[in-house]
Amino acid sequence: MNESDAPVDSGLEEFDELLILSNLETRRKFIKQVAGTSAAITIGPALLSAADATATSQIASPSKSNSDSISMTLKINGKDYTVDLDPRTTLLDALRERLHLTGSKKGCDHGQCGACTVLVNGRRINSCLTLAVMHEGDEITTIEGIANGDELHPMQTAFIEHDGFQCGYCTPGQICSAVALLKENHANSDDEIREFMSGNLCRCGAYPNILAAIKDAKTKST
Amino acid sequence: MGNVVGPAPSRVDGRLKVTGAAKYSVEFDVPNCAHGWTIESNIAKGKILSIETKDAQSAPGVLVIVSHLNAPKPKQPAVKESEALTKGIRNEMRVPFSDDAVHYAGQYVALVVAKTIEQARHAASLVRVTYAPEDPLLTMEDAEHKAVKPKKNLGDNVQIKKGDVDIALQDSNLVKIEQTYTTPTETHNPIEMSGTIAAWEADDKLTLYDATQFVKGVQSVLAGAWNLAPDNVRVICPFVGGAFGCKGAVWPHVFVAASGAKAAGLPVKLHVTRRNMFVGTGHRTPTRQTIALAATRDGKLQAMRHVSQTLTSPVGKYVESCGARSTGVMYESPSIWIEEVIYPVNIGTTTFMRAPGECPGTYALECAMDELSYSLGIDPVALRLANHADNHPTKSVPWQEVLKETFKEGIGAAKKTPAFSAKHLKECYSLGAEKFGWAKRNPKPGSTHDGDLLVGWGMATATYPAHKMSAAAKVQLRADGSAIVQCATHDLGTGAYTALTQIASEQLGLPFEKVKFELGDTAFPFGPVAGGSNTTGTVGTAIHEVAQLLHSALAELAVKDSKSPLHNLSPNDIAMAAPGQLGSKSDHSKSDAYIDILKRAGRDSIEVETKLKEMEENKKFAFQSWGAHFCEVKIDPLLPRVQVSRVVSVMNCGRVVSAKTARSQIMGGFVMGIGMALAEATEYDPKTGMPATRNLADYHVATNADVPLIDVYFVGEPDFAFNPIGARGMGEIGITGAAAAVANAVYHATGKRVRDLPITPDKLI
Ligand code: FES
Ligand code: FES
Repeated sequence: MNESDAPVDSGLEEFDELLILSNLETRRKFIKQVAGTSAAITIGPALLSAADATATSQIASPSKSNSDSISMTLKINGKDYTVDLDPRTTLLDALRERLHLTGSKKGCDHGQCGACTVLVNGRRINSCLTLAVMHEGDEITTIEGIANGDELHPMQTAFIEHDGFQCGYCTPGQICSAVALLKENHANSDDEIREFMSGNLCRCGAYPNILAAIKDAKTKST
Repeated sequence: MGNVVGPAPSRVDGRLKVTGAAKYSVEFDVPNCAHGWTIESNIAKGKILSIETKDAQSAPGVLVIVSHLNAPKPKQPAVKESEALTKGIRNEMRVPFSDDAVHYAGQYVALVVAKTIEQARHAASLVRVTYAPEDPLLTMEDAEHKAVKPKKNLGDNVQIKKGDVDIALQDSNLVKIEQTYTTPTETHNPIEMSGTIAAWEADDKLTLYDATQFVKGVQSVLAGAWNLAPDNVRVICPFVGGAFGCKGAVWPHVFVAASGAKAAGLPVKLHVTRRNMFVGTGHRTPTRQTIALAATRDGKLQAMRHVSQTLTSPVGKYVESCGARSTGVMYESPSIWIEEVIYPVNIGTTTFMRAPGECPGTYALECAMDELSYSLGIDPVALRLANHADNHPTKSVPWQEVLKETFKEGIGAAKKTPAFSAKHLKECYSLGAEKFGWAKRNPKPGSTHDGDLLVGWGMATATYPAHKMSAAAKVQLRADGSAIVQCATHDLGTGAYTALTQIASEQLGLPFEKVKFELGDTAFPFGPVAGGSNTTGTVGTAIHEVAQLLHSALAELAVKDSKSPLHNLSPNDIAMAAPGQLGSKSDHSKSDAYIDILKRAGRDSIEVETKLKEMEENKKFAFQSWGAHFCEVKIDPLLPRVQVSRVVSVMNCGRVVSAKTARSQIMGGFVMGIGMALAEATEYDPKTGMPATRNLADYHVATNADVPLIDVYFVGEPDFAFNPIGARGMGEIGITGAAAAVANAVYHATGKRVRDLPITPDKLI
């Protein structure tokens, strides 16, 4: 996808994929790219129901699967990376498996845990739920790009100070999510923070400390 | 009372974790690494008839497809159960791909290895497997004829009879309750899924990057399976993204990755899918527990009977000892009967999950105690105080100890049961009640409101044994005054990196910032499985020993050095005098700094290592940690969804080495207890035995919005009778009693006693 294909902001802020699918041209290209692969499952029922008859028939003849890779440039943490990628590659797998940016975590691969949260043009998304090919031209920020060089972001410092993690595996996602939360202006009360951070699971149960860290980072940044 | 709570540094690995630089197992960059994708059985029992791989073989990027038909076969590693804690744990005893038999739905039947994840996953969808299904056993009722009563679990008796419970249970003067409590299958679901990168460096040399709680165990099991010298298997795992027990045993995917890598001739990365985390890496068995209690009218227990029924798989070997680990330790009673029955069913193998046995056991027992308190009209805290056990209720003192005691103090002085060491449970109750405001509680169910909401207050006792294992450690002290300490243990999020750095700094006598603690590599001295809350005490003890070795080694150098103030003294007269200094015990004016000793000896560094010793247990005492949870819930009566709104937990775990991380452990335990009480359940299809909840949208763990502030306090004293560090561990105790505290609060709010977890809204309507 190049710049001119980029979807316009229609207010459906939560669903990048749907926006892209609503652009007919992109959608065809996209369905072609994923057709016949089990990767289609990762993008959920919305896509499957959007698939037309052609796509369905392609799913039925899997041996024609085309895994030709596509060359693309991804802008991550301010740096351009040009890579050849299988079009089925999720943004998360592109980061972890191809670019060795393993800070973004895979905790479910289904958009259910938030461990893979990254910022795309400043908004938080689950990078396991979107394909890398859809993000050419986007500004992608991962946990590796949250700090300012050696100087930690106030959210990172607050997570350390308040012990906002234990195993640390959900942490990159929590921090990216929390940074976006403050920008969204959804950190106005304890209950609001809890609610708007509930897409990021922490099985270690660091939630009360995550809340404390976000409140602290909020006071320090205002 | 000693200094029970230590300093509260931030985690030493904190910066790595908040910047994304901490490397978890499948994140290591291994050149030419291929990717594996597994194919699982969709029947619960039967035989594989055929595996059609033609389409898959010709799909782009596919390197090899491995199944029982062609797998390079490892042999069954011969690890004795008694050696599990030193030589590796296996709960599922079958080596995957060993034959055509299917024992449970979701069992791995084949592995596709391809160049990329996308290619492997696509090709896996093209493999067709046919089966000859047989009728599976899926429930306790199905497996009735195969039920067994195991004698022991990891060396402890699980069938216990003390006194005669029947007499008291038939005594009409006593107040009795008898109820059955059930808990569903619970699945650990750490956010990091299990995973292994297997790389054969040579035919007889294997490196594994494995998400595990026990690198040394994986090493020994895989060396046994492939007939390799243990030193030829290296296992690396510096960070674990949560485990809670599911990364303790060596599960099938580890063998599968090694087989795939052998067949492909390339390193293979196999990241277990979330879907398979519900089958192939264990889960907590569902339990059915029937408890009968009889007490005098003033609340003294006379009989406790706890029968628990749990599951295992046909290829499994694991006992969840609910009764022995709760009713067997908790209260004083002249008669106690504990029975455990296990049923093998065609469902993935069960394993330990955070506080195995104690967690479901204390749920049932502490709910039963709440019911008894209502039958008696006695406050729940008062009832527990009336039955406080100073001595272990069901463990006897070994005869050698009795003899010793009798010899010292005269006949009759010896106790039959060992006293609990440094037990401060009464303070847990009193401090918890005070902080919570328990005295203000109106015990009548349904009597307390907050606007339209029903309010309930409940409490429960927490307990977990202090486990002691053996570990070794190595230290290298450098002439710049810094040190590296190593042990092949793990930090599962427990804070081990931090607490063990603190212990090393204290024991070595070096500043905290100058000590680096390294773990998670079989190249380091032995560390046991990081489970059972043993790490701080066990590895701490090894650090204590290696620090003494280092001091002796430095003393040896100093006494031979004519320029040292300690020259010609006896090494026995020399000990650490102050941080960084050795001194004479008899003449306090004589001392020498470590770095001066090294510099004068022309050494850049000095290195010492302890030998792994048999663990010595102090049999005179029983070692157990204790605590009390107090919990408030709020329930909208129209939509009876339970919200936990306030928690106070007071713990007695011996010394708290690292205050910040310890508090997090207790808090995290309670959070998991909230999930257990209100939401968590793995459901199975009653026909196929396939888990129906196989993802995090269907299996509900607690989220941020479900969790209130949790106030954690510690009381007591360092337990130096247990180990020289004085710490009894705290990874598991937080979850014990937690679900009972919530369930008891729900009863207080609503008058409804839900005895079947989780307490979902439908059960309160
Ligand atoms: S890995 Fe993307 S939401 Fe879980
Ligand atoms: S810190 Fe372990 S999952 Fe959140």
